[in-house]
Amino acid sequence: MTKLSVRDVRKSFTGKSGRTDVLGGLTFDIRDGDFVSIIGPSGCGKSTVFNIIAGLLEPDSGSLVYEGALVEGLRGRVGYMMQKDLLLPWRTVLDNVVLGLELRGVPRKIAVEEAREHLSTYGLAGFEDSYPQALSGGMRQRVALIRTLIVNPDLLLLDEPFSALDYQTRLYLEGVLMEAVENFRKTVVLVTHDIDEAVALSKRVIVLSGRPAGVKAIYDIELAERTPIGARSDPRFAGYFHALCGELDIQTKRGEAA
Amino acid sequence: MTRVESQLAARPAKVQPRKRHRRARLDTPLGRVALQVGSIALLLGVWEAAARFGWISAFLFGSPAGIYESARRSLLDGSLLVDVWTTSFEALLGFVIGTAAGSLAGLALWYSRFVARVVEPLIVAFNSVPKIAFAPVIILWFGTGLLAKVALAVSLTSIVALIAAYQAAKDADPDLQRLALALGATKSQVFRKIIVPASLPAIVACFRINLGFGLVGAVVGEFISSQRGLGHLVFTASSLYDISTVWVGLFVLMAIGFALYFVIDRIERALLPWKLDRGGHDLNV
Ligand SMILES: Nc1ncnc2c1ncn2[C@@H]1O[C@H](COP(=O)(O)OP(=O)(O)O)[C@@H](O)[C@H]1O
Ligand SMILES: [Mg+2]
Repeated sequence: MTKLSVRDVRKSFTGKSGRTDVLGGLTFDIRDGDFVSIIGPSGCGKSTVFNIIAGLLEPDSGSLVYEGALVEGLRGRVGYMMQKDLLLPWRTVLDNVVLGLELRGVPRKIAVEEAREHLSTYGLAGFEDSYPQALSGGMRQRVALIRTLIVNPDLLLLDEPFSALDYQTRLYLEGVLMEAVENFRKTVVLVTHDIDEAVALSKRVIVLSGRPAGVKAIYDIELAERTPIGARSDPRFAGYFHALCGELDIQTKRGEAA
Repeated sequence: MTRVESQLAARPAKVQPRKRHRRARLDTPLGRVALQVGSIALLLGVWEAAARFGWISAFLFGSPAGIYESARRSLLDGSLLVDVWTTSFEALLGFVIGTAAGSLAGLALWYSRFVARVVEPLIVAFNSVPKIAFAPVIILWFGTGLLAKVALAVSLTSIVALIAAYQAAKDADPDLQRLALALGATKSQVFRKIIVPASLPAIVACFRINLGFGLVGAVVGEFISSQRGLGHLVFTASSLYDISTVWVGLFVLMAIGFALYFVIDRIERALLPWKLDRGGHDLNV
């Protein structure tokens, strides 16, 4: 069943250097329980699509169909995570996690109880009263992930959430994410510039063309295991990796590098 | 060995461990206070000696002994306390009203970009007038009592707070606002949960500046027209060439500013617990 359809969405920005057409009629579907990665050249408009889906930006034309109904955007219904952890520095870890529930008017006591539970599930018990500045990058992103999951969103929009982390921490957090997604049966859209990550985690990978962005190709990923390490060890992994690199025109030979 | 080599070999000797050690011994709380008290005592001693031996004119510059005598007299007859109370009250009232009103107005400007754009040039224009120039008019409007001094202090402090708060609200991280919106926040929730706390450090920093402006407003108001207060004390004493009393007024003003500074420090700790222990001054540059 289709969860979200993005239909012929166009968006351009007018800045000092004139008009930039960013999205040129983008169309794709996200199925219920899907795990879709979106990859594409940097600056092609991936974050812009997310901002449109999340209802933070209006498309110039085109439409969004969510569970069969035309919608303006999914404000308040999506979990949104970015490369920056965006933890509020003036709030403790606990109060950061509680933010989404608080905005929805969940009574403080219930929200705090739930937050404590989540924090201990993800190995952050004992850090409730710390300020984010005192935590490592990986821990902060974990807090951001908990803050996203705790509001129980229908759809997770993850915009390069792990790209600022070192490789080991990234593998670990990918595992945490996959586990949570399995447990709570979430639908996930992940933007990443890391082809490796896209192949390892996704059921499908959407490749966008350069600006103005459209869908260039869609790959169904079939690996025995969808876990950060298991997938990377699958013999078919390299094939997908190679094909996607080809789609993105990544050139590594000397002299051809951009 | 070539010359370069021998120079390189000699390098380590250039590090001066001794100097570091000497400073480290003094760089303790007690050591620092000792240095501070010591240098003030030295200054007073030199000043007294200079006045006694006629190196400087005691009539024009006063002397520590004269200042002490004047302070003792005004303390005993109770007039100094009245002056201190008067000026502190005017300054504090002006500080609180001006800073609160200015900060709130500055934050409120975040709410409407339209209003902000209309008002911005007016704020800049008002800010570029030296507010002290308003003093005579303010005295005309508000009389020679408490009200005029408070009004002057408010005119100084409110504009500073307004600009600081508005700038801070404008600078609040748009990504944090986006995050709150994606989570379903309303505009008023974004304001309360993101804009206000994000602006608080700048607003609190402006408390320190405004404390000084509050005192300036009170003292200048008293200069122009008043029956009591430290500004009155300084102004009348200097017109009588009573330089010791002038110094008493100045030192007491300094002490008030100093004491209030610590109060602000406490307030800052209470309002911004997350900012504690994050000073950059420990960096060895
Ligand atoms: N608010 C904006 N105003 C003007 N240009 C923008 C704005 N947001 C994004 N852009 C431009 O749109 C293009 C796509 O941006 P973005 O979606 O962030 O790319 P990606 O996430 O794929 O790297 C970039 O060229 C960027 O400069
Ligand atoms: Mg992006």
